[in-house]
Amino acid sequence: MALKRKPDPVDVVIIGAGATGATAAKVLTERGMHVVGLERGPWRKRESFGGDELANVNRYNLWPDPILNPRTLRGSADEEAKINLFCPVPQMVGGGTVHWQGWLPRFTESDFKLRSIVGEVAGTTLVDWPISYADLEPYYTEVEWAFGVSGAGGVNKFEGFRSKEYPCPPLPSTRYAQKFHEGCRKLGYNSFPTPMAALSRPYNGRPVTVQSAFAQQHGDPTGTRSSALSVFVPDALRTGRYDLRPDCYVHEITVDGRGRCKSAVYQDADGDFIEQEADIFILSCGAIESARLLLLSRSGRFPNGLANGSDLVGRNATFHEFSAAVGVFEDPIYAWAGGGYVAASSYQFYEHDEKRGFAGGCHVACAGVGIPLPINWSLPGRPAWGPQAKQIDRDFFNHSFAIAMVVHDMPQHENRVELDDKVKDAWGLPVARITNKIHENDLKMGRWIIDHNAEILDAAGAKKVYRVYIDRITGNCSHQHGTTRMGNDPKSSVLNKWCQAHEVDNLFVVDGGPFPTATGANPTLTMMANAWRVAAYIGDHHSADRKPQ
Amino acid sequence: MTDPQAGAGAAGTFFDAHQRATIEAAMARIIPTDDQPGAREAGTIEFLDRYLSGLDFIYAKPDGSGFEKLEGKRAEAWKQRIEIISAKYVEGTKELDRRSQSQFSAEFVRLTTEQQDRLLAEMERPALQVEGAMETAKAVAGLAAVEPALQQTNAEIDLDFFPLLALHTRQGFYADPIYGGNRDRVGWKLIGFEGPESLAETHAGRFTTLPFFAEQQIDWEEEKNRGTEA
Repeated sequence: MALKRKPDPVDVVIIGAGATGATAAKVLTERGMHVVGLERGPWRKRESFGGDELANVNRYNLWPDPILNPRTLRGSADEEAKINLFCPVPQMVGGGTVHWQGWLPRFTESDFKLRSIVGEVAGTTLVDWPISYADLEPYYTEVEWAFGVSGAGGVNKFEGFRSKEYPCPPLPSTRYAQKFHEGCRKLGYNSFPTPMAALSRPYNGRPVTVQSAFAQQHGDPTGTRSSALSVFVPDALRTGRYDLRPDCYVHEITVDGRGRCKSAVYQDADGDFIEQEADIFILSCGAIESARLLLLSRSGRFPNGLANGSDLVGRNATFHEFSAAVGVFEDPIYAWAGGGYVAASSYQFYEHDEKRGFAGGCHVACAGVGIPLPINWSLPGRPAWGPQAKQIDRDFFNHSFAIAMVVHDMPQHENRVELDDKVKDAWGLPVARITNKIHENDLKMGRWIIDHNAEILDAAGAKKVYRVYIDRITGNCSHQHGTTRMGNDPKSSVLNKWCQAHEVDNLFVVDGGPFPTATGANPTLTMMANAWRVAAYIGDHHSADRKPQ
Repeated sequence: MTDPQAGAGAAGTFFDAHQRATIEAAMARIIPTDDQPGAREAGTIEFLDRYLSGLDFIYAKPDGSGFEKLEGKRAEAWKQRIEIISAKYVEGTKELDRRSQSQFSAEFVRLTTEQQDRLLAEMERPALQVEGAMETAKAVAGLAAVEPALQQTNAEIDLDFFPLLALHTRQGFYADPIYGGNRDRVGWKLIGFEGPESLAETHAGRFTTLPFFAEQQIDWEEEKNRGTEA
């Protein structure tokens, strides 16, 4: 190992360069701060992406390789954990936004006060957020306009106050969106164009998004979709103040004698260990990996992990389970058009309604069945082989779509992320061990929503409808939240409302970790809006006020 | 090849002649030929033989100009994965012949298609019952027992021989032709997928699905002004 010079201290170290790390980097560097970005994965350029279903969906081209980056899973503390690729997110510059199609709905006002609305839900740690929709609204607008989102304000009847229309009108209608809209209309349900991380018109010097079939779970070779890689990383780099270092895997955050964060110790691509000092440390590794890094960062001052005197780091972990009702139609749907996720949505089942028999609700939207491309498309109950399997492919590949949901997974104290005591990753560090038991409320919600999604398919004229119910949280959706809750009380939360650790004042977490509840909507827009809010706060106050003397 | 588990195939291949004939026959039952091409015509055996041959055919270059050279930890992980999967094929081929000999006193390749189907169905059953990965697979997707992908991929190395065979047959039938299967795009033609002419088309941004969008746009303004049930 070559001896490398210790780099100069900087204002801020941001660990992770995905959706939220790139947002924070953009906001802070544009406010004049010097930021080092440490990203464990590679910095892939758009030229390295392509229309290759096999490589991207099936061969871990973008997904983490489970041999290198395993996780373990168990249903409760008395079970033995087994290796499981639970809730993976691409680990690279741009993170999950590299391979997503980017459904970017806003949360509603009730999401921030669900505990007050529904009361106690037995077995859960349901709480209100320490911030409101109004606190976040300006930042929703900032992200929608800076990032480039296509949508139509005011069509979603359940949406909260909006200070500004979307910057781009909705994308062209797909056949599956049209069917969904038709089904909703017949039943008297409101629907709206799913707000998406794509451009329906030239915007900010960027061209209209190319509508390939290889989109969801594929990187974008044209760079025309809106992603952290294509928008916020370049924005931050343009300031000249974002020193982004890929293939740099942070093993530990050290603390000084006063218990403040001192440095991030990382291993670079050559295998050398480097120590980077900074005034402020921001974690944006995703809720699982940020919790893991805090737990890995043990010291005399924090023997159970950084900022974890409360034993709350890693707890209340929530994950959206993705499920769907699937319909088969007489006329062609071509669900691969646009990649399967140029969608329409409804919040008809989003707001809490006690008559339904469960707390909360969720966003539903139409999509292809799974990844609706030749290898990975399927129908529920399709045999794995033989003449019948072939016949199903031939008859229904072009004639099917799904109405999907992400379950609003209830937070529970025992559902948590810890360090595994046996399994290590390819770098020799203990992997994240997930303990997760599904709550009855999730099961009830899943059943009710899927039944109602099936009715929409019926109303849209489906010949046959399949219902795929949730029976546990398998981590089949990359959304992860709650492991470093924000709240006003240090006894029941890890972070304050500025996502600053109660126990360490120069430590912030800006991914889904701070979310006290999972909500029923795709979370990334809100994560980015929250990261913007926190970064603006740091830019406005923290650097001047709180610098070590 | 120095691996004693490996077949005796030529460079860029893995199977010896008998293994290749056996797996090809089994694949022809996974996606049978009817009035339209099946696994045999698509060349799925070619696809699999290349895949198991080493690290030279894991990822096509996105512009279709060849294959990526894997390095570092990524290469190590793939080497490990291919070794695990190859061993399952070597053992699985033997198992097919063992069962075939004991029930029909002939090698698998010599059986009638009905006999082959019976043996494959037997091979499938235990996999469906005990395989943890398959259980997860079904729970994740509630869909095809082979490869769930409602939102994420599963761990290939956890699969038994039969689900692997079904998975790889499907991949070889439907993957981009650059991987050696889906010859003349017969898989795509069968199901009506109007995919790109080549990887280069997608890479250059010339491949568009807009002709397969709706003919009429949804009137969202009208939706805005409409009352709802709630």
